[in-house]
Amino acid sequence: MRFCPYAHRTRLVLRAKGIRHEVININLRNKPEWYYTKHPFGQIPVLENSKCQLIYESVIACEYLDDAYPGRKLYPYDPYERARQKMLLELFCKILGYQNTIFFGGDCISMIDYLFWPWFERLDVYGIADCLNHTPALRLWTAAMKQDPTVCALLIDKNIFLGFLNLYFQNNPDAFDYGLTC
Amino acid sequence: MSGGSARSLAKGSAPPGPVPEGLIRVYSMRFCPFAQRTLLVLKAKGIRHEIININLKNKPEWFFKKNPFGLVPVLENSQGQLIYDSAITCEYLDEEYPGKKLLPDDPYEKACQKMVFELFSKVPSLVTSFLRRQNEEDCYGLKEELWKELSKLEEVLTNKKTTFFGGNSLSMIDYLIWPWFEWLEVLELNDCVDHTPKLKLWMAAMREDPAVSALLTEPKALRGFFNLYLQNSPEACDYGL
Repeated sequence: MRFCPYAHRTRLVLRAKGIRHEVININLRNKPEWYYTKHPFGQIPVLENSKCQLIYESVIACEYLDDAYPGRKLYPYDPYERARQKMLLELFCKILGYQNTIFFGGDCISMIDYLFWPWFERLDVYGIADCLNHTPALRLWTAAMKQDPTVCALLIDKNIFLGFLNLYFQNNPDAFDYGLTC
Repeated sequence: MSGGSARSLAKGSAPPGPVPEGLIRVYSMRFCPFAQRTLLVLKAKGIRHEIININLKNKPEWFFKKNPFGLVPVLENSQGQLIYDSAITCEYLDEEYPGKKLLPDDPYEKACQKMVFELFSKVPSLVTSFLRRQNEEDCYGLKEELWKELSKLEEVLTNKKTTFFGGNSLSMIDYLIWPWFEWLEVLELNDCVDHTPKLKLWMAAMREDPAVSALLTEPKALRGFFNLYLQNSPEACDYGL
């Protein structure tokens, strides 16, 4: 599904490794009956190859692609470096899993939410839309954050930010003043 | 290879020195099923190692420098590199050390082992919940959930038509899920595999494996540990020593 971050992972790896592939998008609110023969719970992403082998779970699919296809290796060769990447992923998943209230600290906005926000605001500006199924908690959090007066007052204008990025990646020293009128 | 039956280190203990060359250290706890995964792989691959047991009810302050989450198992090598999360430690050992590969080389077969691992993922917390159950109503509900999860594993063995989860010989996935099956007998949950005959046969086959049988915990000791652990006793981790 075009907006699912988990499926997005797999598409990133396919592209990074230059793997020829076809994409079939699934309507997650109205799944075709046949899709349950691909995944017992109808989740995405699922890989299917010409031998009819099915691989699911985004992280497993990504590792499979790295192992099965030649070219640039995305996971490092060194076992310790590989382990480090996997430990970092566990940390990331824990962040997503730590949420059982609207905000990360409870029912009201608090320090941890402000500490996380700048990165999520930038992701939002880049236009990564929410996934309908996988991270409703994060979507609710983003919406709730945007209602906070402090967050609101400091929201970056999307066009100005993109203008800055554009100049920044060109190493243009005027990048930092982009959008200022005087 | 030393330390498996050593008293655990607790708060106030001195941090251990660096790991000697040619050895890898595992921070463990004698009754932890997650740590048992790592010990099984160390044994199966014949990797020279030393064990430091940690008192999980009274953790040494220095242990959080080894793993910020304060959990076992953690691997430390002579270069001071630290690896934690039981599944990650097992995969690291298989990649880093020579000898018999526990994970298959074939990418699809390897992915299959990881998918089975996901299928198993609800079992540890169900078994822990069962251990902590307050009354008989909880008991039935939990048993039912456990049956459901175990049936998924039975289906894998039925579809594969092999003795073990990775084929006809024992491999990584079998070691990763084994420790909780060892607990079934002690927790009087053996009837949960009554409807899963292939799983029952797998359990028997596992007990024949040299690494598994070398690391089997005596049911009485496990029961003793459970009792003390549920009472939050700092003596739990050293039960029987």
